[in-house]
Amino acid sequence: MNAPSSESILTNSVMFCRSLRERGVAATPAEAVDAARTLNLIDLDDRQETFLSLRSVLTSRVEDFEIFAELFEEFWCGLSHSAQPQNIIEREARSGADHKKRPASIESSQKGLPFFLDNWGAASNDSTEINTPAASNSESTAEKDFSLFGADELEEIARLARRIVRKLASKPSRRWKPVRRGSRVDLRRSLRASLRTGGELLQLSFKQRKPKKTRLVVLCDVSGSMDLYTRLLLQFIHALQNSLARVETFVFSTSLERITGRLKNKDYERALESLGETRGWSGGTLIGPSLAAFVSGWPNLVDRRTIVIILSDGWDTGEPEELAASLARLKRRAGKLIWLNPLLASPEYRPLTRGMRAALPHLDLFAPLHNLQSLRALERHLVL
Amino acid sequence: MREEVRQIKELLERQAYVTDAAVATSLYLAMALGKPLLIEGPAGVGKTEIAKVLARALDTDLIRLQCYEGLDATTALYEWNYPRQMLHIKLQESTPSDAAEKEASIFSEPFLLKRPLLQAITDPNRSPVLLIDEVDRSDEEFEAFLLEVLSEFQVTIPEIGSITAAHRPHVVLTSNRSRELSDALRRRCLYLWIDYPSFDKELQIVRTKVPRISEALSLELTRVIQASRSLSLSKVPGVAETLDWAASLVALNTAHLDREVVSETMGCFLKDEADLRKFETEAAARLEEMMSPGS
Repeated sequence: MNAPSSESILTNSVMFCRSLRERGVAATPAEAVDAARTLNLIDLDDRQETFLSLRSVLTSRVEDFEIFAELFEEFWCGLSHSAQPQNIIEREARSGADHKKRPASIESSQKGLPFFLDNWGAASNDSTEINTPAASNSESTAEKDFSLFGADELEEIARLARRIVRKLASKPSRRWKPVRRGSRVDLRRSLRASLRTGGELLQLSFKQRKPKKTRLVVLCDVSGSMDLYTRLLLQFIHALQNSLARVETFVFSTSLERITGRLKNKDYERALESLGETRGWSGGTLIGPSLAAFVSGWPNLVDRRTIVIILSDGWDTGEPEELAASLARLKRRAGKLIWLNPLLASPEYRPLTRGMRAALPHLDLFAPLHNLQSLRALERHLVL
Repeated sequence: MREEVRQIKELLERQAYVTDAAVATSLYLAMALGKPLLIEGPAGVGKTEIAKVLARALDTDLIRLQCYEGLDATTALYEWNYPRQMLHIKLQESTPSDAAEKEASIFSEPFLLKRPLLQAITDPNRSPVLLIDEVDRSDEEFEAFLLEVLSEFQVTIPEIGSITAAHRPHVVLTSNRSRELSDALRRRCLYLWIDYPSFDKELQIVRTKVPRISEALSLELTRVIQASRSLSLSKVPGVAETLDWAASLVALNTAHLDREVVSETMGCFLKDEADLRKFETEAAARLEEMMSPGS
């Protein structure tokens, strides 16, 4: 580029930012302006310097580096050979459409339906091969497998769920709030109050720890292979959902659906009825794409104070790479990532499915969930 | 290369910091554009060091804010000096000034304890370097608060009023990616990723930082460290560990690495029991191979 005018610099950087955005790199107009300012500050004949400077300004995570390098190559090299930048952008726009699957809602995630349907056959084949874990011989309810539970025993599950939630809500955080009476003196407020009485500390003000606002996100697999457990797990989730305000629930089989609203403030039977209207029950499983849809569709639900629980047997027919990538992203955002697998209780079960193997390195806890004992054991881990 | 970038590179190198074009360019832009620089990368690659070296190179103060969960405004920004306020009130008891006056006097600057953020924007002489270390360890509320300070470089204290920075600090944030930072904070900053150094860079770092090390030993040691990074250990040794190991070997007057020396001193760069065992087996089998050029 030989002494380009400042106007053409601005135009170019705006276009460059646009093609970055189309590939999912969040380069805002404000950053385009910064990029233009940058280009005036550096030596444009030094390609490496131009590259490093723009990368520093326009990307904000190392994951974007690859896309940036690719586009930089095309865009700035193309430019110096006086190619039409417009063409590049249009081509980017087309290929960008495939890359950018970021459904903002369930409606848009349904666009992937043909893809899921194509994989349907494979999914149902897989699920028929599964052996459910052998039920324990013991008569005690605590060790009885969920798959053998009767309706009268459901109440026990709900009771446990409520206890877990109560514990979760009562953990103190490290932040303070003023209270009328407590064990810690709030010096700032006390001193202020003392001024009214001529500097004499007549009344102390107190502070105490704010309760921790832990949030729970539950992602429950409702595909065919989970059929035996789904009913019980839903009972568990239903109780969780109605004991704590900050619980979000999703179900997935081949696609993801948010059911928080359907579970809220209803008795269990009515909640089940309402769930009947949702799609994809007892079908195949695509855990990877479902989790990817969750990560990109509801990024604000998960933060440091969130415990994410995945309830699934790990029989995935999607690509294990996609599952691993989604879990890695979840793990980075969440306070804790827990995978509960009903099959884990079976002595013959080894987490050797490709999906499960890819998932394991990203989990904080991988535990069974098939009887009341395992549910009680879970209580210990649901803390941040 | 732009003259300023070269100068920054030289300045850093004069402080015995081995750097590359990416670091120098980012620092130059952060200063030229007046934006904070967010540095990410694995632990122990010298992220914090950049801020320290920058402060030394610019001959200015380094103000450090170490982040942790629960960090709040009273520890990061300011707090009133209560004992001093109380004493003052007691001493003024007999004087006939009214309550409003007294209040104004004890909520004034002499009674203010400046915490790092306030220190950084009230430096009367020049721009200090503000290091916000391990920002990923703080919580979301603090991040939002930080965003406010970093966008305006202005702080409001109810009793005193707004304080605007006379000299904007050079801000460096570091993150180990234990938590995803918000997009808003990321967008506010320039971005620099520092990875484990290449063989050549690491060798240069070892020789700069541990000048007494022999040429042969520094070669062997750097090769072993570089090889150990590909063993998928749970705690991958960073540059800090390399330097610890180099210093220990020099202190022990080691001339060459052999299996015995390695197994006696590997605690310098391996900080995990399982890693130690894994590395020991690996070293027993192929230490020669690790130390040979081109491994």
